[in-house]
Amino acid sequence: MAAYQLIIIGGGLSGLAAGIRTARFGYKTLILEQHSLPGGLNSYYTRQGRLFETGLHAMTNFAEPRDKRAPLNRLLRQLRLSRKQFTFHQQLASEIHFPDRRLRFSNDPAMLEEAIAQTFPASIDAFRLLKERIADYDPFTVVPWRSTRAFLHEILQEPALEDMLLLPLMVYGNAEEEDMDLGQFVIMFRAVFEDGFFRPSETMREFLSLLVDQYKEFGGELRYRAPVSRILTENNQVCGVELENGEILEAETVLSTAGMPETIRLSDWEADADVYSGRMSFMETISVLPSHISKELGDDRTIIFYNKRSTLDYRRPDALLNTFWGVICFPEHFAGLPLEETAQIRVTNAASHPLWKALAEDEYGSQKAYWTRAAIAASEEIIGNYQASIVYQDSFTPLTIERFTRKAQGAVYGSSRKIKDGLTPWSNLFVAGTDQGYLGIVGAMLSGITVVNQHILR
Amino acid sequence: MTRDEIKDVILEIIADIDDEADFDALDADAPLRDQLDLDSMDFLDIVMELRKRYKLQIPEEEYPELASLTSCVNYLEPKLQDV
Repeated sequence: MAAYQLIIIGGGLSGLAAGIRTARFGYKTLILEQHSLPGGLNSYYTRQGRLFETGLHAMTNFAEPRDKRAPLNRLLRQLRLSRKQFTFHQQLASEIHFPDRRLRFSNDPAMLEEAIAQTFPASIDAFRLLKERIADYDPFTVVPWRSTRAFLHEILQEPALEDMLLLPLMVYGNAEEEDMDLGQFVIMFRAVFEDGFFRPSETMREFLSLLVDQYKEFGGELRYRAPVSRILTENNQVCGVELENGEILEAETVLSTAGMPETIRLSDWEADADVYSGRMSFMETISVLPSHISKELGDDRTIIFYNKRSTLDYRRPDALLNTFWGVICFPEHFAGLPLEETAQIRVTNAASHPLWKALAEDEYGSQKAYWTRAAIAASEEIIGNYQASIVYQDSFTPLTIERFTRKAQGAVYGSSRKIKDGLTPWSNLFVAGTDQGYLGIVGAMLSGITVVNQHILR
Repeated sequence: MTRDEIKDVILEIIADIDDEADFDALDADAPLRDQLDLDSMDFLDIVMELRKRYKLQIPEEEYPELASLTSCVNYLEPKLQDV
């Protein structure tokens, strides 16, 4: 008998959620994480005594505790975490900022509707119709890809409004360029415009340690600095994994959350890894400044989705970075968070992994510094100047993301081709996480839970 | 196990899944799903918990037997008589 009933590759949110489920029901489970910290794409690091989160701007899918069928509450029940363990803070408001037009929205959907009635008076009835169509749509039934742009245009017939609605939803969860699968759009529309943004009162470190503690409490094992070099197969079955140090671990079942390109490589799967490599990656520019300055610049906004052009160009840029559109996030601007001495402004822009990868070693640092200044300057045009007030600055590029998360090409949303059923050519190898389907923190955890529920807890 | 003991086990498992579940007005003959806002993921947890505790295998096609508290007890009584 194998040493483990289940080995999970990756201690990110999908792997931890999956592990909590199996450990809870007595499956002997081992999570292997290559890094020295949990979290994967949503982890943290420290510099000069400050903690920086890597992925978290805000969590989506806010729900009140009484709404038991809401994704957030279902998720917590599945992990047997009591909602009472958490203090959640809702966003103040967010803004979609296009040339000459602004739309503000909050966790109260009425705010967006009013903003559209004011900014696009001719389109408000069409927008209400759109909301009805979204309410009637079941995104969880697997159907062929359908164009969101065509769907939106048919109903709204107002390209400016279509692009404005698409920006936050694409940038928070679209692996595809230019267009988006309608099912994914509906999930994101509900997650962002209807449920809304929130964050836990503490940082990602505490959130992750809560998950890790829960997993260990149920008897799960977790090893850090344990990169997998191979998924071992025998007679058309997976029989375990080999670590980079040569150690072999046997398992009855393996769940990979390393993404499709990595899983293909590790298992010698005869599939084209390039097909599953995502093209959307981002550079994140983090500035720390006195919190009274960030508060003033934020003007009661939590996140600003900006575009300096009239049409949205959601694709991998032809330059290292595209600062024409992006996200400006104030991670401290959530209702009820205590005011600290300093606060962050985080700017996220689309970046080209191949161009960053092609840089010579001695160019990387200077290019990173150059594009950091460019990202800050672009955001200053939207919120006002803050460069002179920065007390600490840090950035990470698609290469940083790839190095720490194994996400091929730093593609945070994975490939546009998802493995929705989590199945592979081996009957006891499954995939979960970004390349399975759902995105974001809540989505990643639901992915781990869903795949385990469907294929392993049977 | 007696019918009352089985009933208590089911309620205990549900309380463990949802610490805010309110049993005061529970109608034993009506579907648990609607009364307690449970979904299919929660039902899987009831099944998995029964398996963990009593080594009881409940095939997927028999999940509907767990619809109400009374149907749970009827279904589980013969399976748990020696527990």
